[in-house]
Amino acid sequence: MINLRRAFGFVAAMCIGLGVVLSGAMAQDKKGSIVSFNGPAGEAYIGRFITGIKETAKLKGYDIKVFENQFNQAEQDQQVQQVLAAGQLPDVFIWWPSDATAGLGSLRALHKTGVPVLKINQLPNEQDKKYIFGYAGPDDRLRARNAGYMMREAAAAKKAAGGDGFNVLVLAYPHSYGGYGLSINAFNEAIAGSDLKVIGDVDEGFGQANGYKGAAKLVAKLKDQGIHFVYGMDDAILTGGIKALEEAGFKMGDDVIAVGTVCNGDKQLIEEGKQFGTTLQSPLHEGQLAIKLVEEYLATGKLQNYINFTPNPAVTKETIATTALRGFDGKLYGIEELCSGAWAN
Amino acid sequence: MNTTANVYASASPASLFNRIIQNHSPIVIVLVALFLAVFLYGMVTAPNFLTLFNLKTIVRDAALVGIMAIGLTFVTLSGNFFLLSMKETAALSIIAFATAMSAGYGFELSFLFTMLIALAAGVLQGALIGLGGNPIVVTLGAAGLFFGVASWWSENLVVSFRRPHGAEWLGSGSLFGLPNITIAFILISITAEIVLRYSTFGRQVYLIGANRAAGKATGHENFSMAIKTCAIASICSAFVAIAFSAQVSSAHVNYFSSEFGSSGDMTILVIATVMVGGNSIMGGFGSTLRSSLGAVFISTVDNMMVLHGFNSGPRVLAVGLMIVFSIIVFALVRRGSRAQE
Repeated sequence: MINLRRAFGFVAAMCIGLGVVLSGAMAQDKKGSIVSFNGPAGEAYIGRFITGIKETAKLKGYDIKVFENQFNQAEQDQQVQQVLAAGQLPDVFIWWPSDATAGLGSLRALHKTGVPVLKINQLPNEQDKKYIFGYAGPDDRLRARNAGYMMREAAAAKKAAGGDGFNVLVLAYPHSYGGYGLSINAFNEAIAGSDLKVIGDVDEGFGQANGYKGAAKLVAKLKDQGIHFVYGMDDAILTGGIKALEEAGFKMGDDVIAVGTVCNGDKQLIEEGKQFGTTLQSPLHEGQLAIKLVEEYLATGKLQNYINFTPNPAVTKETIATTALRGFDGKLYGIEELCSGAWAN
Repeated sequence: MNTTANVYASASPASLFNRIIQNHSPIVIVLVALFLAVFLYGMVTAPNFLTLFNLKTIVRDAALVGIMAIGLTFVTLSGNFFLLSMKETAALSIIAFATAMSAGYGFELSFLFTMLIALAAGVLQGALIGLGGNPIVVTLGAAGLFFGVASWWSENLVVSFRRPHGAEWLGSGSLFGLPNITIAFILISITAEIVLRYSTFGRQVYLIGANRAAGKATGHENFSMAIKTCAIASICSAFVAIAFSAQVSSAHVNYFSSEFGSSGDMTILVIATVMVGGNSIMGGFGSTLRSSLGAVFISTVDNMMVLHGFNSGPRVLAVGLMIVFSIIVFALVRRGSRAQE
């Protein structure tokens, strides 16, 4: 069994090695080569990110090879070892860890080769910041803060119209996920001093189904106290939550005001007024930003900014049609192209 | 098979207690009593647990996993273990349904189109298993195939269709205060149990599951049984996919990968439901009603823990413990009844 596993590992390494050698030979007439380690294209957000890095790399004349893992750090660690064993090193590594703490060994190994590493999506921490030349990705705090400000605005309008009731439900990421702490703290800071009061928090998991299940249970628990606002840490979770609130008899937009982030849910909910707003977070733009930073680093040997956030502006029913962002490829993108989830109709 | 149940059904409370004491080992009684004590304490102390609204929430929460578990129970009872492709069949089905809906074919045609695809998926797996393929290997391969086709078909993008649409009645509608998905779960549970208990097909499922050689000797081959049971499981997966897509007006291949419940993977959760219901993994013993109750039971424990303020980690742990507990208790109970025979 061990021999079989070794043989399989050897064949896999040979295949990857051959791939890297061939791509290295083909890349000789390119400006440089990039190897990216990231999650699976089957996940909507990461799929758009991969589109962003591939298309922009092609446009800028870089050869790029993408290694996907199924949200599994051990799988990514193995891919790193296989690429290093092949011996054909790229000019830059792009590293989107599944678990940054568990993947620290891989990052160190990448760093030891002397090839610069750009970290994606998860903010650098004390342990890994010395091994990377920069960061590109979203700002969990900014988007949560913007959601808090949107909710404050909605609450102020409700109060001015004579409305009362400012209890807030939070449909959260799993509490063990790094983004949870950053998001909830920033959101709480943003609503501090207002009439809004968080009365419950549920962390069923990611996605619409979990949003629905978590919200349904939380509504059963807190219905008697009055539910007036709901904050979804991303729109996919919130979309499920809105369904649960509707099934419980709440009229979204009137009885309950919903605010989300990430624009990975359902655009129609905003158009219908069932969701007050969200914040833009574009995986396509994140991918483009990564290649832009690679180009900047290879040209100058450093980055102007170590931390580089993608923009997270607020998007509401009033601004949804006019929100656009110029990509690093020079094109102007509308919100359907920028967002993931059910946004392109 | 039903002897113990019939004895208990006709007994008075006092004699029922005595018979339980006589028929089961002390360790089973202590384990079940301990579990019931914790469960009842949790129920009584959880805020708003015993409200009509929350009880409806529990059954609604169990509905989608429960329907898939009912389908899978036919496979398990027939002695063909599990389909490890449940979530991938659902992924393929949801993409098929949403693609047809977004192309404007309407609910009926989209439903039919999706069901035909699911039927083909089930028949393919059943035929391979019936020909002697290992169910684990066959369905692992099928899982990759279905997921790959669904990913390629949808280009890994979310496929959405705008409201209003003809599927909303299934996804978001209700009748007499009960969500239509809950009603579908109840109806499917009743129908499946009647089919298993009272139809010739149902008896064949038990016969082949309990003793394949005896089944073969009486002219009941596993080939056609594997095809039929896998087709049922696939159709149940497709129904869940359609209901979920109807609710969220969209589809993505990953909707069933990590989104269902804090226990994560949909296939694992469905298998867990069948196991918690006490169905025999070797086939021949169990029922779809057990699986339905297993789904409601898992949902109840999860609901109770949310009401008590537990976050996702302990809840995943609780589902794991329930599976281990069920396996131990049902194994001990069956060993006890075999010893008596």
